[in-house]
Amino acid sequence: MKYISDLILKMSSVDRRWIFLVIALSVILPLYFPLGLPIRPTPTTQQVYDTIDALPHGSKILVSCEYGPSTKPEIHPMVLSVLRHLFKNEHKVYVTCLWPDGQFLASEALDLVGRDEYGLTYGEDYVLLGFRPGNEAVVKGIVSDIRKLYTIDAKGTKVTEIPMMNGVNRFEDFDFLFSASAGYPGTIEWVQYAADPTNVPMSTGTTSIQVNEVMPYVAAGQVQGILAGMPGAAEYEALIGVPGIGTSGMDAQSIAHLVIVLFIVLGNVGYLIERNRSKKY
Amino acid sequence: MLWKRHIPILIVAVIGSLTLFGWFIDEPNIKAFVNDDATQWFDILASFAIFLGGFNLLKMQLQKVLRKKQGWQYSLFAIGGFILAIIAGFFYKGNPDVAWGTHVTADGTLFKWIFMYIFAPLGATMFALLAFFVASASYRAFRIRNFEATLLLVSGIIIMIGRVPLGSSISSWFILYLLVLIGGIAINSVFKNKQYTAIFVSVGIIIVTSAGSSMGWPLDQPGIFYLPHLQEWIYMNPNVAGTRSIMMGIGLGIFATSIRYILGIEKSYIGE
Amino acid sequence: MNDRDFMISVGGISLAFLIYWFAGHPYFVTERLVMFLTIMIFSGTLMFYIRKARRGEDIFLRDIPGLKAIEEAVGRSTEMGKPVLYVPGIMDMDQVETVAGVIVLGHVSKMTARYETTLNVPVSRAIVMKAAQEACKESYLMEGRPDMFHDDMVHYLTDEQFAFAAGVNGIMVREKPAACLYMGKFYAESLILAETGNSIGAIQIAGTASQAQIPFFVTACDYTLIGEEFFAASAYLSQRPELIGGVKGQDMIKVIVIATILGGVLLRLLNDIGLINFNILQFLKVT
Repeated sequence: MKYISDLILKMSSVDRRWIFLVIALSVILPLYFPLGLPIRPTPTTQQVYDTIDALPHGSKILVSCEYGPSTKPEIHPMVLSVLRHLFKNEHKVYVTCLWPDGQFLASEALDLVGRDEYGLTYGEDYVLLGFRPGNEAVVKGIVSDIRKLYTIDAKGTKVTEIPMMNGVNRFEDFDFLFSASAGYPGTIEWVQYAADPTNVPMSTGTTSIQVNEVMPYVAAGQVQGILAGMPGAAEYEALIGVPGIGTSGMDAQSIAHLVIVLFIVLGNVGYLIERNRSKKY
Repeated sequence: MLWKRHIPILIVAVIGSLTLFGWFIDEPNIKAFVNDDATQWFDILASFAIFLGGFNLLKMQLQKVLRKKQGWQYSLFAIGGFILAIIAGFFYKGNPDVAWGTHVTADGTLFKWIFMYIFAPLGATMFALLAFFVASASYRAFRIRNFEATLLLVSGIIIMIGRVPLGSSISSWFILYLLVLIGGIAINSVFKNKQYTAIFVSVGIIIVTSAGSSMGWPLDQPGIFYLPHLQEWIYMNPNVAGTRSIMMGIGLGIFATSIRYILGIEKSYIGE
Repeated sequence: MNDRDFMISVGGISLAFLIYWFAGHPYFVTERLVMFLTIMIFSGTLMFYIRKARRGEDIFLRDIPGLKAIEEAVGRSTEMGKPVLYVPGIMDMDQVETVAGVIVLGHVSKMTARYETTLNVPVSRAIVMKAAQEACKESYLMEGRPDMFHDDMVHYLTDEQFAFAAGVNGIMVREKPAACLYMGKFYAESLILAETGNSIGAIQIAGTASQAQIPFFVTACDYTLIGEEFFAASAYLSQRPELIGGVKGQDMIKVIVIATILGGVLLRLLNDIGLINFNILQFLKVT
């Protein structure tokens, strides 16, 4: 018993580089040897799916991409899934970006899903309006007059020459907003300045760490559901029946979370043993 | 005194009041100022201010190289990266068929190549460090020193496991058995009587097994012990309540700080 | 302005608004009246307590360990002969947290001037760089040590979030500051900075109102100023009556908000069960 206690004590004060190594292995190995854990959608993800599915065919959907390469693994899979869902239901998709990096990633997503998978036509089925600087001012500008803010799209074409921009002058001309957000400016700015004042329904997908900040808006009904990080992306992929990067990352995330919990438990067991010993002596 | 003190305070008071009260005024020019112009003025200032920052950065790195300070070789990378970005942004497109401006996102340009093959991998790598740091920070800091710390730890574990597919594969009955065992440990530490512990654990196991058998061992029933349901409840209830109250407190703090600036009570921006 | 003059001014402004309102309130967005009155009440509460503090009335503020620890941290750096690293967040001066961070920097730089400790302030925005330089310069001047100040103690790294985190990490690992202070608006890089600071054995004090980052700072730092404590820091450090009065006013506003929530729940309950015809939610809705 003393031997086990001593071993646990030794392990509970291990150099953090061993922890880094174990975490690295717990992420890499499931990527090569997938476990195939079943993915069950949560109510908040289901709400996003149901809201988008209920939109009438041919609705005008604004998708806003505010994420960068660092948050691409979490947000990009959900953007791809949402675009697949939107194009499958034959909606018209308008893409804006509040982050400069977002434009690169939005372009990549539209090319992959819109152009390559669905064979859709740029300017008739989807359009990338691009990035504009100004943070909340861009959101307010879209609410009041989108044509004042966007005179050309991301490819340099005049907005007046894009067929699907006919009849789109302000935010209220859209039927739905999906914000794929990794921080500021993002979901909260869209809720505060656009969706809530105009009653245009919106849903969002955010990084896991941002879910806390957005959840009060979901609970209040101002945001219709939320895709929470990579698990949310994987759940949405399961709902639309097209597994992707989100699904493939879930095994690794599951094992990594389990390993972290085990480390925490180990650390606490060591702490309790040490505390009992010091009480004894 | 007038230029260094009174005029800056007056500017802050006037612009701050106009931006605050402009929200209540239904006059097109004021609305345009509050909604568009005020924030755009700031963006224009910030865009020109980047020159200050850029020159400061170049100056510091060049000084390091010229004076051969410790680690001066790394400064060569900083200066080289700076010059490469300027060239890719303003002088060399790489794809002659693309117009200036759209060359930053068009395929085949040097700028896009830098974004895809240098900037994106570096950003992703730095973000990935968080996974390791979260593990080491949690391992070091999460100790059940008191009731609140224990509560935090338990809810953290429930959310971490409940959020991922692994959590939805863990049956409620497994959690019930775990609770019986933890209860046994607690009984043993309080009463220090092996008989009581054995009775408690045996009765607990019998009850859980009987209930499970009679219900057919459903994975997600009883729902209160199913980790995904539990984590959803924690997210939507105590978490939202705590977040809302912190948001209100922060909002009040922002309001009070801003009012102090508008009223001229806080004058730290002029060094007072 | 004495109390009598203040009350006359308040009365005059209220009367003017009433006349404007009954005259048809041209150009006023009527749907936002409740918000306007709320701002007036809150501002009035703040000013009342600021005036009360200026009159010399004693206002109790509880101790905040993180703020007391700042001087200890600077003292520790002085003893060890190592610099103090101060990071005023990664956002620009349009964020109130950054402004609060620069205010605290002014106080910290007074301490570093007094103790003759090296101060290193890497920043992520050019405007913040200028504001922070001015704050430090004034502090060193007020402490009678203008010779110790140089512009390069506040230096710009990059606007890009993770490049900034990498740069600050590099500074920490090379210079090994004895104290790391993180005061401002942070995002995902917060844990990267805090863990690196922990690995070099520095004492770390953080202050932020970024909700998502508070848990990371609490886990990895020795002291954390959470939300309002961070905004109240300037009052604590300067001990100026008007700032302390402002903190008290904030607390009283919170009491008003709590009373409004409780009263609103009661009114809503009475409305739902049909006892009254007044919908508090419709009344408080802001468009």
